[in-house]
Amino acid sequence: MIVPLSHLLVFASVLFALGVICVLIWRTNVIMVLIGIEIMLNAAMLVFVAGSYQWGRADGQVFALMIIAMTSAEVSLALAMVVYLHRRKNTVNVDEFRQLRDR
Amino acid sequence: MMSMADIQIALPLLILAIGALITLICGAIGRKQTTGYLIAVIAAVGAGLWSMQTPPALLAPGLGLSASGLTRLFSAYFCFMAAAVLLFSHSYNRYRDIAGEEYPATILFATFGMVALASATNLLLLFLGLEAMTFGFYILAAIDREQDVSSEAGLKYLLMGALSAAFLAFGIGLLYCVRGSLGISEIMQTTLAATVRDPIALAGWGCLLIGMAFKLSLVPAHLWTPDVYEAAPPPVVAFLSGGSKAAAVLLMVVLLVHVAELGTLRVPLFGLALLSMLVGNMAALRQNRVRRMLAYSSIAQMGYGVVALVSIQGHGLQAAAFYAIGYGIMSLAAFGAIGVLEANGCGAELDDYRGRGFTQPVASGALAISLFALAGIPPTVGFTGKFLIFAAAIRTGENALAILGILTAAVSIYYYLRLVAALYLQRGAAEQTESISINDTVLLALSCVLIILLGIFPAQLLDFLKIQLL
Repeated sequence: MIVPLSHLLVFASVLFALGVICVLIWRTNVIMVLIGIEIMLNAAMLVFVAGSYQWGRADGQVFALMIIAMTSAEVSLALAMVVYLHRRKNTVNVDEFRQLRDR
Repeated sequence: MMSMADIQIALPLLILAIGALITLICGAIGRKQTTGYLIAVIAAVGAGLWSMQTPPALLAPGLGLSASGLTRLFSAYFCFMAAAVLLFSHSYNRYRDIAGEEYPATILFATFGMVALASATNLLLLFLGLEAMTFGFYILAAIDREQDVSSEAGLKYLLMGALSAAFLAFGIGLLYCVRGSLGISEIMQTTLAATVRDPIALAGWGCLLIGMAFKLSLVPAHLWTPDVYEAAPPPVVAFLSGGSKAAAVLLMVVLLVHVAELGTLRVPLFGLALLSMLVGNMAALRQNRVRRMLAYSSIAQMGYGVVALVSIQGHGLQAAAFYAIGYGIMSLAAFGAIGVLEANGCGAELDDYRGRGFTQPVASGALAISLFALAGIPPTVGFTGKFLIFAAAIRTGENALAILGILTAAVSIYYYLRLVAALYLQRGAAEQTESISINDTVLLALSCVLIILLGIFPAQLLDFLKIQLL
């Protein structure tokens, strides 16, 4: 293997951390939260590909492919909901949706 | 190649998937609402009955699906739960004008995810089953389009759920890097011993636990629960509480059954259980909205479930599996009854439930019995389940958790009985007669009978679980 596993894992961890930061910083904007989650899932895929290369097995790659399929389903669902909410309230700001809370 | 044995073991999954597709097609052809529900109920009951029969092998040779007793017990439980929820939804959705065949089809798809999770032998299938189930619930939580809050609940649940899915996938990926295999037993045996100091394995378990804390709605990751419980239709909440949470507990049981002791997982699980019991019960005390109160109570109940998981050396896994099923039946009765009450014009506040015991005896009676069970008053399944959990905790030497659990359970009796008192001891303004369909009556009666039967005669189910979880 040209690139050692540890390098890949560090890279994936940095990517994952960037995704978490994106979710935390832009947590008011639904679209940005979704992008952050996508980055986190991409980091997970990278880990699977690295692991499957390290051990010479294909099941990690299958897992990565399945994550791609899952992500696309999830994003289509989330965007459908964003469009619907935007139509109702004319905003994608999460803070505007706060009818439900402890009273 | 799929052999006959493979098909026989995978048939519940096939029935559910094909049933959901037929439901969708029928909705496109016919105009009658009832047809879709009928087909979905038949598919769920058929899949449940099929998974109860003895399989040709314990492991499907070509597919890697498990058909152990535990798998079949929980598959049947999920399928029958789905059928009951569909029947409850039929009358409630007519009242709320939730039309369309996508509702029964989505329930079936979510059930498909649960059954896939129950039959998983590797982490890939486990993850996909869990996500398929949660996807169904994202849609179901937001399905009441006439209500503003319903879509808000769906959005909150979706964002938190997607975040937890990312954590789960990353955690599983790290564990895969450590072991080079996705098989559950292999990964559990190499990554969870107390001697393992591999930072990658520890990081993997950390991410996995964060994801699971969300699915079980344990305290640092519980914020979505009250919102979804308040805004989603009550039958959906019953399914979420009885199906989704039982599936998450089952997932932890399926993972932990391969190890003799918790090792590095003990401290984080201990903390999650402690916080969930404390915060859940204390927050429920302050609630005046019934559904929010039950949501916080469900957070606390999952805390008790985690106590059972921590007590793995004292046969805690049996207690956890037993409690998952028991809690599912209790919440089915509770939210089924709340659905009937709301369809009869009952509001969300505690005050709206005043005197309902006299005007709507059937639903209020079922609600009262399930509240007694949730409070842990004998002779109900709630008492037996809590007794088993705390006994297991003391056998393991987790005395602190056991004592705290018993104390918070005693505190929780107050807010459960406050609702019972509102139902029966105060006179309400509403003077109307109860309109309740026959299937709702039968289902409420059936779940109440089960609550009491499992409370008095738990031995058969427990012996079965004991054999499965040795």
